[in-house]
Amino acid sequence: MTIDSTTIAQAEPTFQRSHTVRLPRSPKVIGGAVIVAIFGLFAAIGRWVAPYSPDATDTKNWVQHVLVPGTGPGTEFPANYYPLPLGPSAAHWLGTTVFAQDVFSQLVTSTQATLFVGLLAAAIATGLSIFFGVTAGYIGGGTDEGLSLVANVFLAIPGLPLLIVLADYVPYAGSSVILVAVIIAVTAWAYSARVLRAQTLSLRNRDFVEAARVSGEGRLRIIVAEVLPNLIPIVAASFLYTTLYAIYAYVAISFLGLGGSPTSSPPGLWNWGEMLREGFANNAVRGGWWWWWAPPGVCVAALGTGLALLNFGLDEFINPRLRIAGFTGKAARKAGINSRTATVITPVMRKSAIPPTGAMPADAVLEIRGLTVDYGYGEDAVHAVSDCDLVLRRGKVLGLAGESGSGKTTLALAAVRLLRPPAVITAGAVRFRSPKGVVDMLDATQPQLRAVRWSEIAVVLQSSLNALNPVTSVGAQFDDLLRAHRPLLGRSGRADRAGELLKMVGINPDRLRSYPHELSGGMRQRAMIAMALALDPQVVILDEPTTALDVVTQREIIEELIGLRDRLGFAALFITHDLSLLVEIADEIAVMYAGRVMERAPAASLFHAPRLPYTHGLLHCFPPLHGRRAPMEGIPGSPPDLRDLPTGCAFHPRCRWALEQCRTQVPQLSLVDGSRREVACWLHDGGQTVPDELARRDPMLVAQ
Amino acid sequence: MSALLRRLLVYLLAAWVALTVSFLLPRVVPGNPVAGAVARASQSGNCNEQCVIAIETQLGFNVHQSLWDQYVNYWENLLHGNLGHSWSENAPVSNLILSYLPWTLALLGVATTTSFVAGSMIGTLVAWRRGSLFDWLIPVATFFQALPYFFLAIVLVLIFGQTGTMLKWFPSLFGYDIFGAEPGFNLPFVESVLAHGILPAVTVILASIAGFILAMRNQMITTLDDDFVLVAEAKGLPTRTVIWYAARNALLPVVSNFTIAISLVVAGQILVEIVFNYPGIGYHLYDALGKLDYSLVQGIFVVITLVVLAANLLADAVYVAIDPRARQAA
Ligand SMILES: Nc1ncnc2c1ncn2[C@@H]1O[C@H](COP(=O)(O)OP(=O)(O)O)[C@@H](O)[C@H]1O
Ligand code: SF4
Ligand SMILES: [Mg+2]
Repeated sequence: MTIDSTTIAQAEPTFQRSHTVRLPRSPKVIGGAVIVAIFGLFAAIGRWVAPYSPDATDTKNWVQHVLVPGTGPGTEFPANYYPLPLGPSAAHWLGTTVFAQDVFSQLVTSTQATLFVGLLAAAIATGLSIFFGVTAGYIGGGTDEGLSLVANVFLAIPGLPLLIVLADYVPYAGSSVILVAVIIAVTAWAYSARVLRAQTLSLRNRDFVEAARVSGEGRLRIIVAEVLPNLIPIVAASFLYTTLYAIYAYVAISFLGLGGSPTSSPPGLWNWGEMLREGFANNAVRGGWWWWWAPPGVCVAALGTGLALLNFGLDEFINPRLRIAGFTGKAARKAGINSRTATVITPVMRKSAIPPTGAMPADAVLEIRGLTVDYGYGEDAVHAVSDCDLVLRRGKVLGLAGESGSGKTTLALAAVRLLRPPAVITAGAVRFRSPKGVVDMLDATQPQLRAVRWSEIAVVLQSSLNALNPVTSVGAQFDDLLRAHRPLLGRSGRADRAGELLKMVGINPDRLRSYPHELSGGMRQRAMIAMALALDPQVVILDEPTTALDVVTQREIIEELIGLRDRLGFAALFITHDLSLLVEIADEIAVMYAGRVMERAPAASLFHAPRLPYTHGLLHCFPPLHGRRAPMEGIPGSPPDLRDLPTGCAFHPRCRWALEQCRTQVPQLSLVDGSRREVACWLHDGGQTVPDELARRDPMLVAQ
Repeated sequence: MSALLRRLLVYLLAAWVALTVSFLLPRVVPGNPVAGAVARASQSGNCNEQCVIAIETQLGFNVHQSLWDQYVNYWENLLHGNLGHSWSENAPVSNLILSYLPWTLALLGVATTTSFVAGSMIGTLVAWRRGSLFDWLIPVATFFQALPYFFLAIVLVLIFGQTGTMLKWFPSLFGYDIFGAEPGFNLPFVESVLAHGILPAVTVILASIAGFILAMRNQMITTLDDDFVLVAEAKGLPTRTVIWYAARNALLPVVSNFTIAISLVVAGQILVEIVFNYPGIGYHLYDALGKLDYSLVQGIFVVITLVVLAANLLADAVYVAIDPRARQAA
């Protein structure tokens, strides 16, 4: 049931079993912790530091009795007096009540019971929710159905009214803080149980839980050792939330007079709600005796704020997107980047001069020079793309290959300013030749970019499920697009055009009425391609458009793309980690490693006669889509950590042919075999014997 | 329809549990609560013989029937809309509640709708313009979220209420001018009702809006990172369309968590009504508790539960209407 989806469960949890639990040290969390700690201290020692007993009446400073105006001598009413409590003084820091009791002492004493009930209720409720939530989520099946039903039923019953009825009937419940806490817990556990269930459900299919299960560990052991540790942040969040709720609930029922008054028998404990009740019942508000009723209210609000702030911090910890938004906003401002809205425009903060550009090559539509992109700012920046040059020519397909994490997406999206914070472009130049003239992409304003986006440069992302708006129909999304860019086309004109586009990629126009979740992965990706071509763009950026699909669909879509390209003549930047796929569709291929372009050549040359050891490795990683299966050699080791790149050639720790100088000197991209291809590798600097694998005959050279 | 039917089943079950709990409590709780209640009642001095008898019957004391028969009886009465007799008002509980309910429903409806709509819009804006001046709203909203409803009510009465001591702008006692207006469909009465509704409504709105702002803001920030928002930007769609795409999606979890929100608002409003002596069911619940009018307390509990369950069902229907995936499952 989608209705049951919860906030927390929606965000992919990123914490892993080995992660140390470290809260973000934001001012919010620190402020919250300080507030809660102060109240905790008062709760612990308050009873002993209170200057008076909360029940003691101060006989030396007995309250005055004031004649009610309009009564007494000279009027027709008998004299009527009301007590006037004392305002704050040296003897009574927060004044007194109408019973001449010390408000400060009451307040300090009350902190203890209030906090005690809050924490105890939260502990009981959290225990219940862990039991129900984790059991339901882990065991699944009928148990899950049953327990979830119980939780949902409890969740639907409004808490406070139930609490009132419970507190009212259970004899002297109010006088026993433990009973009060139990009653509050009964009305409070269901929400957390639901959240924990969802989380457990997603955890139980993770690798490490699976592994434990396969290794024959018992159910209880797995739950305790594998599942629970991963739930700690959520358990902590729900504990805080429940504490907050329990304190409100206790204050509320005490305010209603159900919490057990200290003067009743058996006596209840002093708490903030009771103080508010007494003040309210004795006209403290109308009398303007703020020192009496305001402090307990402010305490509830302050402690509540403290807990809520802590919870806010935990939320950020649990939901990485919130955390990143918080962190990067601050870091960006520090670095001098001030984005006023969440509009996606990658900021440009050049740290070096704009490279000399000169005239754009006549056949180039998109020219990238020396592009350098960081994630993060200052010291912590990760250099995801460094000094990359690429030229996309009119009507051609440029392939961009490399292992996952090598910076392909970063490079392509940065060029069109579509990377989100914390990405920042720190060097380079990007020019786009539109029919209306050359646009400097890194200099363009938002309106200029908007004019180029989609009508000139369209983008197809890897996962089309997420690329389409899940709550509106495919047709509506075409409609929004066409309305924005083709204002002259009427409603029916837009519908016709959308149908035509779908037909073009082999989808029945009836599908315009479908919602994204009703289409198969392949169909969604086709719909995205149709959308990308809707405005006849000059350039289409295809970022692994088929990676998420099965091989057959992949095949069909590639063939369709080739057909469309031939027919419509757009230029494409085609990103993939699969070189064998690129060789079929690309005119030219660039290979990236650790954020740099390391080899660039005509597709056939690169595929059949690689010059770079890394390219050679890549070619032997993937079985070709069809044809002879070569033995897979792959590349030993794993992609480098961008924070800690090897010196010299970043590939040297994994390179079979690494030379001494590879460790210290960065190879530069330079021409080999004439003027058509470039490689950045010391093996090709002319002074080395090139291994046979990297010296195959270039088929393009033969063709010449 | 299966998803909605399942929810309906949950709510029916919830109603059954609530009603059964309220039946069983006085009867099975150890230590004879009835004796306790009667003792408390006579002790308090404002419970006469009539009241004691009423409590005894209501709580099944001195009723020589098996628990099961009492239970069957209880349901028969409920299904006939018979919630018992209020000794303090000397009237059928159901009639009394019917006269209290419009006040509560109107206040709850207006305040919750305003708060939800405005809160979601503000939350959207704060998320969209994150890093801007709007960020100060977050700690402020956190504080307001932590403020108990009734405390806020007291503060507002003090500052703006005519029974307060400062500005005396708005009436802050009762639901209408009980001395000047004749209840009925006449202009002075309607004006009076509206004027008396301002402060209670503002209280509930101010106290509940922060939760919606924060929930929507967090959802928006999460959603703004989704690919489809990036694609909407890449499509060069106007800013308002991009925000709309994200907001429509961010709204879904907010609506699905409405269950919790509505419970909290209802709880808060009960206390707000008490502070304002607002003649809704919350105030009368308080009144009945004080007068030990158990049949009225129980009746009000039943009705509040049903109101909340109905609100939940409404929220579920809205959810199904705005999420095509749920619609398909429904
Ligand atoms: N939002 C981000 N914050 C920090 N680092 C990121 C972010 N996105 C990507 N990176 C890092 O940048 C590098 C390049 O990523 P990407 O361009 O997505 O590679 P590819 O598309 O080749 O798989 C990766 O090492 C990745 O960890
Ligand atoms: S430069 Fe050296 S380490 Fe790098 S790919 Fe060439 S041979 Fe290998
Ligand atoms: Mg990528």
